[in-house]
Amino acid sequence: MYSAHFAAGMALKARVPRAPTWGLLVGVALLDLLFGPFVLFGIERASLTPGVSPGFSLDYIDWSHSLLMSLVWSVAFGLLFLRAGREVAMVMGLAVFSHFGLDFIMHPADMALWPGSDIHVGLGLWKKLPGGWWWVELAVVAAFLNYYLARAKRDRSFGGRAWAVVITIVILHLLNAPWISALQ
Amino acid sequence: MNTTAFALYMLVFFALPIPILAWFDRPRARSDVEEE
Repeated sequence: MYSAHFAAGMALKARVPRAPTWGLLVGVALLDLLFGPFVLFGIERASLTPGVSPGFSLDYIDWSHSLLMSLVWSVAFGLLFLRAGREVAMVMGLAVFSHFGLDFIMHPADMALWPGSDIHVGLGLWKKLPGGWWWVELAVVAAFLNYYLARAKRDRSFGGRAWAVVITIVILHLLNAPWISALQ
Repeated sequence: MNTTAFALYMLVFFALPIPILAWFDRPRARSDVEEE
């Protein structure tokens, strides 16, 4: 998933307004922020598959996206925020782990249980629904943003431009559409 | 696009929205609310 990660971050912000927004957004994106450099340094591998949904193959992503490493990154990231309180630290960890949960829906079985494990998981909507996955993700985005908007109306401590947040995430989702994305 | 470009693309694609969304999420300043 892509835009749904950011929508999840905003929903978590609405749930725990004390948590810094930038931290939640880094958290939900962390596994892919690690994936980029890991590929550049040869720690992980990916290849492009033009014309075959989703346009790329994640050949080895065990250090950024395996179940065990997702938990490790979640705990490590949460600990960085321990001084802000237990609730904030917990929601930061949850932000990171939400990435694994959402990717589990889309990824074909390319997420290992731990680095080097032969067992890989993923429901594979990217492959099973080459065009339909985009609509499934849109539904997830809508659910998260609906929650964010509802809470932002009542709590003035965040969401000063809540509609701009919603529009930005919808634009991100459009940019990732199978018929627009540069990766297709 | 080669693999290096793909990795950079993913990095930018995931990093760029963070400051934009965080900026939009800031609470409104009192002066903004009064203007409305």
